[in-house]
Amino acid sequence: MNAAASNAATPQTCLFEAVGLQKEFDDGRVQALRGVDLRISEGEFVSIIGPSGCGKTTLLQMLGALDHPSSGELKYRGKSMLHGLDAATYRAREIGFIFQAFHLLPTFTAVENVQLPMLETTTKASERRERAASLLKSVGLEHRTDHFPAKLSGGERQRVAIARSLANQPSVLLADEPTGNLDSENAVMILELLIRIHREQKMTLILVTHDLSIARQASRMIEMKDGRVINDLRGALRP
Amino acid sequence: MTFPTIIVRGLMRRPVRTGLTLFGISIGIAAVVALVGVSRGFETSWNVGMRTRHIDIVVSTLGSGITPKPFDASVRDRVAAVPGVTDTCALFVDFTSVEDSPMLIVSAREWGGFSWNHLKIVSGRMPNDATEPAVVLGRTAAETLKKKVGDPIQIDIRELKVVGIVDGGALVENGSVMLSLDLMQEITGNEGRINIIDVRVKPGSSEEEIQRVCEAINRVVPEAKAMSAGEHIASSEAYRFVQAMSWSTSLLAVIMGVLGVMNTMLMTVFERKQEICILLAIGWRRRRIMLMILGESALLGLLGGMVGVLIGVLGVKAIHGLPGIRGLLDPDLSPRLFVTSVTISIGVGVLSGLYPAWRSSRLTPSLALQG
Ligand SMILES: Nc1ncnc2c1ncn2[C@@H]1O[C@H](COP(=O)(O)OP(=O)(O)OP(=O)(O)O)[C@@H](O)[C@H]1O
Ligand SMILES: [Mg+2]
Repeated sequence: MNAAASNAATPQTCLFEAVGLQKEFDDGRVQALRGVDLRISEGEFVSIIGPSGCGKTTLLQMLGALDHPSSGELKYRGKSMLHGLDAATYRAREIGFIFQAFHLLPTFTAVENVQLPMLETTTKASERRERAASLLKSVGLEHRTDHFPAKLSGGERQRVAIARSLANQPSVLLADEPTGNLDSENAVMILELLIRIHREQKMTLILVTHDLSIARQASRMIEMKDGRVINDLRGALRP
Repeated sequence: MTFPTIIVRGLMRRPVRTGLTLFGISIGIAAVVALVGVSRGFETSWNVGMRTRHIDIVVSTLGSGITPKPFDASVRDRVAAVPGVTDTCALFVDFTSVEDSPMLIVSAREWGGFSWNHLKIVSGRMPNDATEPAVVLGRTAAETLKKKVGDPIQIDIRELKVVGIVDGGALVENGSVMLSLDLMQEITGNEGRINIIDVRVKPGSSEEEIQRVCEAINRVVPEAKAMSAGEHIASSEAYRFVQAMSWSTSLLAVIMGVLGVMNTMLMTVFERKQEICILLAIGWRRRRIMLMILGESALLGLLGGMVGVLIGVLGVKAIHGLPGIRGLLDPDLSPRLFVTSVTISIGVGVLSGLYPAWRSSRLTPSLALQG
């Protein structure tokens, strides 16, 4: 059973709905998004691909409520993201972010980095520590819990970052070129890890990449150019 | 990991800078402790001096200068006649340098007046009469001047003899040079003039009764002012000057502390811009970011305050040990002063953290995704 068939068989809850989404920077001198229309359903694995500067990161920022669109409508589970949701709560509970540059905090150990998002949601410190340790174990880093980021390899750092993104059991993982700073061996490992999480936890995964071979792992591939979606492919993407 | 851990970690990331900032605040707080402690101590020991001599009211012109202006000795008779006054003693007191010692109280007392009564002889004797060219020294004054019984001592232009060393039971008394009023008037050319009248009222009088006697004295004595012993020191211009100096120096120190901490916290916010954006991106509320920055600066204040109290106490102890100063200082290093100082210091921390915290909360999380 391939991904396209499963999409067709079961009607899915619509998670994101973007209509005419635009984003300008520098008083309109830069138009990063020029009207994006998009629906993403719960449980999908979507890759976003396109040349540098086409607006992939900007789109991810809108989906993650890190920034507001200049115009257009963006809804999450039918609620307007601008008016219907509290951005901080949304970011803390619904979204897990994974960055190209890992973005771990250097003054905190692996297990502490994983706990950082939990400060907004979990009150008991012992519970936080326990869950962070088990998340690190699930990404294969149980032997690195008390290491500072500087003492970890790139692949290990990204695995800590993935564990951190899962801290509050989000609905969506947003990954912006998560393998961009890694060698091919580690890149494969990280990608497999993300796909495993998507499968096992039915988590929606939206992954931005330059790399067509990575993009083809997804069940749906969105191609962007100059701030617009120019292609939206579903189904068997793997050559 | 708890929120306080995060705050501590924030300060520990730049130990040298944190240390220097801490040192900066603690010097300010040390100044507060030392100056306020010394001026309060001066007030307390003055009041203790009044009580051991059983002085209820002081009539003088102390409000007008470092040493009170002289007035005619006949004022004493008018004061003595006021109903409620039971005893009086006329004095001529000067705050002046004696030989090598820069500042000593030279206290000339009416021969036979009650202000001689409580002095206990440690060695030697009291002067024989009002005109013998002799002085007695309080214990600390004797130490400061390095004099013993039999030594000569120069007062103004006259050489007198130390005939006794006494214990007056209070710091002010022990730091004084005491002699007969007649002798002092003669030496300084102030015949018939005095500048302080110590007054006693009926034992057990209430503060209100004392106030009423003061008012009665003030009606008949326009040349000087009667004040209850407690009020007296607080209203002295010299004391007020010292107090104003100590508070304004403290204020300056506190302002320097605020600027130092604010600078450090602003630096830390700028330096951690990206980290703050990441925290926002992973779901931290702006309020929590502000609390983190405020927490760090408050903790700086707390630690700086504690170190400052320590430095202040050690500093005062060191100054107190200096020979010329022993007789003049009895610093009031009470726990209350410590608590006040540390509270001020925490306040400094919080105050200086407000602007950096506000700045940190205005960062946008999207910065985290770029670069
Ligand atoms: N904060 C900003 N201020 C000004 N211009 C911006 C800002 N963020 C993005 N841009 C511009 O918007 C456009 C889209 O940027 P974006 O980062 O979304 O591209 P991208 O597709 O992620 O590129 P890359 O593959 O290189 O990461 C670019 O021209 C970029 O220069
Ligand atoms: Mg990008």
